[in-house]
Amino acid sequence: MLQIRGLDTYYGESRVIAGLDLTVKKGSVTALIGRNGVGKSTTLKSVMGLCKTPSGHILLEGQDLIKMPTYNRVKSGIGYVPQGRDIFPRMTVQENLELGLRAKGGNPRGAKSGKIPEYIYELFPILPQFAKRKGGDLSGGQQQQLAIARALAADPKILILDEPTEGIQPSIIQDIGRAIRKINTEKSITVFLVEQYLEFVLNISDSLYIMEKGEIVKSGATEEMNAAEIQKILTE
Amino acid sequence: MRRFREDTPLLLAVYLVKNTPARRPNGAPAWSRVLIDLAQFFNTVFNGLSLSSIILLTSLGLAITFGQMRVINMAHGEFVMIGAYVTYLTQKLFLAVFPESLFSVYYIVAVPAAFAATFLLGSLLELTVISRLYGREIDSLLATCGISLIFQQAARHIFGAQGVNVTSPKFLSGGITVGGCTFSYNRLFIILFVALILFAMWFLLYRSNFGRQMRAVTQNRPMAKCVGINSRKVDNFTFGIGSGLAGLAGCSVALLGSIDASVGQSYIVNSFMAVVLGGVGKLLGTVLGSSVIGFSGIAAETFVSSSIAKAIVLLIIILFLQKKPQGLFTIRSRALDE
Repeated sequence: MLQIRGLDTYYGESRVIAGLDLTVKKGSVTALIGRNGVGKSTTLKSVMGLCKTPSGHILLEGQDLIKMPTYNRVKSGIGYVPQGRDIFPRMTVQENLELGLRAKGGNPRGAKSGKIPEYIYELFPILPQFAKRKGGDLSGGQQQQLAIARALAADPKILILDEPTEGIQPSIIQDIGRAIRKINTEKSITVFLVEQYLEFVLNISDSLYIMEKGEIVKSGATEEMNAAEIQKILTE
Repeated sequence: MRRFREDTPLLLAVYLVKNTPARRPNGAPAWSRVLIDLAQFFNTVFNGLSLSSIILLTSLGLAITFGQMRVINMAHGEFVMIGAYVTYLTQKLFLAVFPESLFSVYYIVAVPAAFAATFLLGSLLELTVISRLYGREIDSLLATCGISLIFQQAARHIFGAQGVNVTSPKFLSGGITVGGCTFSYNRLFIILFVALILFAMWFLLYRSNFGRQMRAVTQNRPMAKCVGINSRKVDNFTFGIGSGLAGLAGCSVALLGSIDASVGQSYIVNSFMAVVLGGVGKLLGTVLGSSVIGFSGIAAETFVSSSIAKAIVLLIIILFLQKKPQGLFTIRSRALDE
């Protein structure tokens, strides 16, 4: 589904990711984990075209996205939920969702009349109740749900999530975990997520990549991974 | 809201006459002074309203370009000047080509022509210069300052240093007299025109898909890209609209006085102050900021010279911003980015 080959990413003059190779299989939930500052979020930003990537390839179903502007990558089928749940704070919940609908190039009139897929509201029942409320007035957990819902409204082939549990209370983390699983199994949307919360990752993912200093140091099927060993890498 | 009655000035006059000594020190009846003062008061309010309207029109363009692109466009006043000159040229064209009976139509043609010309020029400017300077606020400020000088000099070269005049169309000549106060059709038109444009802008920003995209780019540019918005296209169109609004202001300014290369400069300082006072990026703030600047300027001019009046207004704003640097409106939110 998504293949990253020989990717280099730079912040200014410094190389943050060096020759990254990574594959996200179609229909899977793939997680990328690692300590702070190893380049996990940068990997996702590179996929979205938000960082300077002078060399390498990012292939989505065989189509190379590397030279594509961000807005076209979204139209190609990537839904992105960034770290810090970047919603549009001065827009209503409904407007945030409609922007998601618009991302896939749908009829804006259709979007206005509220054609948000029903399953999104079923996943996050809090959203229709707060449709008229400003995004910035929601709690952290609600904002995260809105950010995921907005990405889903674009009907993506792959959903990319950057630390979806960051700063969220445990009960909401469980809801988010259930929602991600449901999206993956019932809607057949491939999920690629970056996380630091190991327990969450072990419960939710099919395959796992561990990153250190901009490179993958270990990868494999989650069920074959040794939790203690992963924990050791993360805390070393 | 209570309705304004046509005879309100008269009723107020009667009230004041009843409560004022019968004779002034020079022996003239006191009510004559009261009536003159009232007429002056209402004229001041009316002039303040029309000045606020023009400031609002220029500030709106500044507010949306600064709010979205963080570009302080020092050439914005020159778009006002271009709009005014387009009005003048349209008038000349009508005088040369069309029969006299159609002369008044020139203004109806001039309004969209001024908008189109300034929109296209603004869009071209964004494409060729401004877009290369995003994120470099000082550089863009200096560049637009230079462009402002180029535009002014070009106007002097084409139209001469002397001001040119636009004749008001017949339907805007004269005025209406209510209770001893005369309201010119020109200024009444400007107030209504700006109200209409304000509504159109509100509709564009809050009821259209493009407006939603504009607001998304303003609030969070990287995220806007991540929901499929072509922010470059939005920037270009926004800059075009901002310039077009200045062009429409130029159309209004042309009705009020002589047009020369520096006509935009006389409004632009007030407009910058209105944007800062209202709170950058907030439509309602810009409306209020323009009203405060327009009314306080005209009110101060009643008592002191116009230069001192400008200094007084500037001083009040400096003091206000010391207390409230974010302007009249601040946004309260639980969002992480604010």
